[in-house]
Amino acid sequence: MNILKSVYNWCEVRLGIKELVEKELTGYLLPRNINFWYSMGSIILFIFVMQVLTGILLLVYYIPEADKAFGSVVGIMNRVPFGWLIRMCHVIGSNMMVLFVLFHMLSVLFMGSYKSPRELNWLTGFVLFTLVQALCLTGYLLPWSQLSFWATTVATNSVGAIPHIGQFLVEFLRGGKLVGPPTLGRFYTLHIAVIPILLASVIGAHIFFLERIGVSTPPFGLDNTKNRWQGDAFRYEGHPGGIPFFPNYLLRDMTSIAIYFALLAAVVFFYPNLFFTKDTFIQANPFQTPAHIKPEWYFLANYQTLKLFPNEFIGLSIQGAAMTFLALLPFIDRGNEKHPLKRPLFLASASGGILLFIALMVWGHYS
Amino acid sequence: MDSSRRKFLFTCLGGIAAAGAGSALYPVYKYLAPQNTSANGEKVSIPASDLLPGDAKFFDFRGEAGVIVRKRSGELIALSAVCTHLGCIVQWERDKQDFLCPCHGGKYTEDGVVISGPPPRPLAKLAFTVAGGAIIVG
Repeated sequence: MNILKSVYNWCEVRLGIKELVEKELTGYLLPRNINFWYSMGSIILFIFVMQVLTGILLLVYYIPEADKAFGSVVGIMNRVPFGWLIRMCHVIGSNMMVLFVLFHMLSVLFMGSYKSPRELNWLTGFVLFTLVQALCLTGYLLPWSQLSFWATTVATNSVGAIPHIGQFLVEFLRGGKLVGPPTLGRFYTLHIAVIPILLASVIGAHIFFLERIGVSTPPFGLDNTKNRWQGDAFRYEGHPGGIPFFPNYLLRDMTSIAIYFALLAAVVFFYPNLFFTKDTFIQANPFQTPAHIKPEWYFLANYQTLKLFPNEFIGLSIQGAAMTFLALLPFIDRGNEKHPLKRPLFLASASGGILLFIALMVWGHYS
Repeated sequence: MDSSRRKFLFTCLGGIAAAGAGSALYPVYKYLAPQNTSANGEKVSIPASDLLPGDAKFFDFRGEAGVIVRKRSGELIALSAVCTHLGCIVQWERDKQDFLCPCHGGKYTEDGVVISGPPPRPLAKLAFTVAGGAIIVG
């Protein structure tokens, strides 16, 4: 014990650990009316770490070569001890990441936390959302199954609707006229290096902005639910008399992460094929298009939207406009009120948007 | 909260954390642990006609490198080709009828006995039989 105390003292005089703990943990106070939805960020961070760890482990056996990739994935699933567990955690974890990013965005939307002065938090969050989607899209091709191959063909093809440069972009993305071995090389590099580095950097920026401006106050359980920001000078939003981050809130965060982990384990052990179709188990064949190729659930709404419009460019433009609107929402919605029930226009639009997204998703699934 | 209850709860929490960490690390260890690429009892068959007097033939033997030499006298010998110094694969010098380890200059006779250099032990001998025109090692 004395040795530990000596090491602690040695570090203390050099780093000021006590002060750091006081500032960032025990003295870091959060709103008293904080709720479960504030744990979404921690859950997503946990999923990201899990994805990185399981991804690194998969790299040990995965071969990024068109004629060997599928075989290497089959080997991971069937021959390598616990390979199935690591891959299933990675596959299901990626879907969970998209799901929890959506939950996080919805909670921020409904609690009005995107409003001034948190525009940068929202914008970086939005960039993270698109990066997570890009990570999923690029990872989808790597098993080199029929589903991977043809879903990537369809996804990359949709870029071709952009006038003038569309075809060039499609070929640039694929590394050739059609999806093939060069596409695998590109997507592999994007999936294991480029996007994760970008994602980690933007996560850093997102947390930095949160740290600088302070945690927003939820609008529930308060008399005054207006935005307190005055806009004349930088002010850290502190919460005097609030809940300490450590140990109180960390325990709540750990509980939320444990609930997430139980959900992940339930899918991994009881519904492992939830995100798989029969084409997942067949090696890619560039000369045989399977019937009814559909994207993952989170791209089904986009897929169905594209099908609804006779002109693919119009479909893409509408989606682009919707995404731009969402990204710029803090600059459009400048009202002071944060409580969702006191924002009828927002509540109607957001609920309508969610219902439309779900309806398009279900329609896309059954079409 | 009295200290004995606190201690008990911390012990339980520590136990649960240790069990959790163990159940997460065990699959990772098994995943990364080397797998048996070949069975222990695997035999390697080499056609005897492949080896002329003074020649050596290298082969994969149970995940390691082996070599079989037909001496100029016609006698056969099977050895491990892994240098006993730092594990490089020895090379057959046909003109000198000996083995040289290019990593640190270790030299062995055709029987695997150390002539010079840093190897601490002779090359390990491998059991073999000759039957029906084939040399069966293992």
